[in-house]
Amino acid sequence: MARRRNENGRFAFVLASVVAGMVGLAYASVPLYELFCQVTGFGGTLNTTNVSPSTFVSDKTVKVRFDSNISPKLAWRFQPLQREVTVKLGEENLAFYEAENVGIVPLTGQAVFNVTPFKAAPYFTKIECFCFTEQTLEPGQVVSMPIQYYVDPEIFEDLNTREIRAITLSYTFYPADIDGEGTESDEKVNVSARATTPNSG
Amino acid sequence: MSNEATAHDHHHDHKPPFFQRWFCSTNHKDIGTLYLAISMIAAIIGGLMSWYIRLELTEPGIQYIDDFQFYNVLVTAHGFIMVFFVVMPALIGGFGNWFVPLMIGAPDMAFPRMNNISFWLLVAGFILLLLSAVIGDGPGTGWTVYPPLSNADFHPGPSVDFGILALHVAGASSILGAINLIVTIFNMRAPGMTIHRMPLFVWSILITAFLLLLALPVLAGALTMLLTDRNFGTHFFEAGAGGDPVLWQHLFWFFGHPEVYIIILPAFGIISQVISTFSRKPVFGYLGMAYAMAAIGVVGFVVWAHHMFTVGFDVDTRAYFTVATMVIAVPTGIKIFSWLATMWGGSIKMEVPMLYALAFIFLFVVGGVTGITLANASADLVFHDTYFVVAHFHYVMAIAAILGMFAGFFYWIGKMSGKQYPRGMAKLQFWVFFVGVNVLFFPQHFAGLAGMPRRIPDYPDAYVGWNYVSSVGAAITAVGTLLFFVVLFMTLRSKETVAANQWGEGATTLEWTVDSPAPFHTFEELPDMTGKAPAE
Repeated sequence: MARRRNENGRFAFVLASVVAGMVGLAYASVPLYELFCQVTGFGGTLNTTNVSPSTFVSDKTVKVRFDSNISPKLAWRFQPLQREVTVKLGEENLAFYEAENVGIVPLTGQAVFNVTPFKAAPYFTKIECFCFTEQTLEPGQVVSMPIQYYVDPEIFEDLNTREIRAITLSYTFYPADIDGEGTESDEKVNVSARATTPNSG
Repeated sequence: MSNEATAHDHHHDHKPPFFQRWFCSTNHKDIGTLYLAISMIAAIIGGLMSWYIRLELTEPGIQYIDDFQFYNVLVTAHGFIMVFFVVMPALIGGFGNWFVPLMIGAPDMAFPRMNNISFWLLVAGFILLLLSAVIGDGPGTGWTVYPPLSNADFHPGPSVDFGILALHVAGASSILGAINLIVTIFNMRAPGMTIHRMPLFVWSILITAFLLLLALPVLAGALTMLLTDRNFGTHFFEAGAGGDPVLWQHLFWFFGHPEVYIIILPAFGIISQVISTFSRKPVFGYLGMAYAMAAIGVVGFVVWAHHMFTVGFDVDTRAYFTVATMVIAVPTGIKIFSWLATMWGGSIKMEVPMLYALAFIFLFVVGGVTGITLANASADLVFHDTYFVVAHFHYVMAIAAILGMFAGFFYWIGKMSGKQYPRGMAKLQFWVFFVGVNVLFFPQHFAGLAGMPRRIPDYPDAYVGWNYVSSVGAAITAVGTLLFFVVLFMTLRSKETVAANQWGEGATTLEWTVDSPAPFHTFEELPDMTGKAPAE
């Protein structure tokens, strides 16, 4: 009987470790998911490491559209300076967004971005971009933010992506300290700033 | 009602006094009874919520619920209560506790005290969940708790946190229960009761316990992430800080899809026992049936993204999840056809449990067919979040599971209470309930195909017809449910007792070898199953 109890206890311990392992796996899914998205371009994740300059320019063209969004918590105006351009595949291009701090205190923003259709992500290469760093704007300051990019001609070799004629690049700016100190005072400022800015973004 | 279920029995074996017996219980039968009791209480609460929802939806416009957050809270609480506090306690905690030890010839569960903790954790979780609805605005998130709706921006206040803690506690209860069941089934079978001789109900509980063990910790992890996102400044699901709300959906459905099999597999087990008993034949293709359940369990872990086709997968991902989902129809089909083959040429007795088993097969097939429809990624983009989905999952896991519970109840109530249920009333209850649920849910297919969206208290006038029919069905179902409690009451008050083997030669499993009601202690001397036929 004592042996039986021992065996049961050991078995229960093994099962409890399985439970602990699954909890661990749930947390491990965060870095794994990130890695997976970066490697595969899943969900429109752009490759931001190991970008190399374009080596080949094709005659084929694709439209690139620019989209901008802004978090209600950030008192910025933010919009692209061009809505749509037609680019040659492989050709390095420059595009600009413009941001303005319409609040009354310096505000730091950080952009997240993706491309649609998602499957175009592996072929959309950004060489230089404002999104990679945080941006701090003084009240009233206007900056234009450049993006240097090209569309890989390989996009026409891939069966799944060859029908793509337009790619939309989308940016959303959020406050960099999304819940850091001073949020409360920032929020008040933002609300008043939004109220006085009829067309913010 | 749980007291009455056992208080009237007149057996010689010693039972502890009332408080110790029911509050400090380590007896698998008593704990099973407690689980069944809490399931019935929760079913009344969750059922009242759904009838209130249907009452509001009887006509377009706002009749009764003008607080829309409250409507969302009702929808959320109904889902949580039915899944975590009605179906799981009854099928796994109730029938699992009662009959797994009896069917494998074990004197009790492997860890009787842990069994007690499992039950009382569930009670604590239930209280926390009910509190969540009355503290603050209540969680109006749907049972899927998707961020950003569930984050601190859109649900400030403690109600979602209460809900999260409720699920944590209920989850811990289920995990402990699962460990207990697995150890019991692996280590405590009677001599000769090999794995391949176990009754199919025991198989179904074993596989369910493994699913619980693997799926619930993932939910616990995801819920903890949400809790820290809401309260401690992490950004797992916060897009603005580099997190991803879609990650929640992946984690939730990695738990959520196995969860629907957790709900339905024990019902499969009950239906197998019932059909075999009332056809007076062993189950057709016993091993196929057992391993079909195992296959459903395994494949169930790799199909989760079919719940979230609309988040925008590429075509290959959608193709994979469509195909993988449809593959589940193969083991499920094996089960359906094996049940039909079991009945084929059998000496069928239309007792009430058998009626419920047949109704189960009908509802499960209807739900399965709409499941195949929904598995198509391209069609699902249209059906997503319509009443077609509501009709589908109520058929396939909600009502089918409830019918499985009723089948189990009428099959085993004689063993549990020693009393005969009133046959005529029980048959009436069956027909009222069966007609009710079909009138309730079948029209929702049509409303959904026409575009009726889920989770709204008001809807365009175009959907008035089928919604009205559906609400009439809800009323009939309410009568059927009330009748069940009448039948329960009449059974417990009944003077008519039943024999040890109530069902005759079709009932071959070990629980029919002990007295009715089952004595407080059973199998103190292990039965020897060596050389006997498979117990199915």
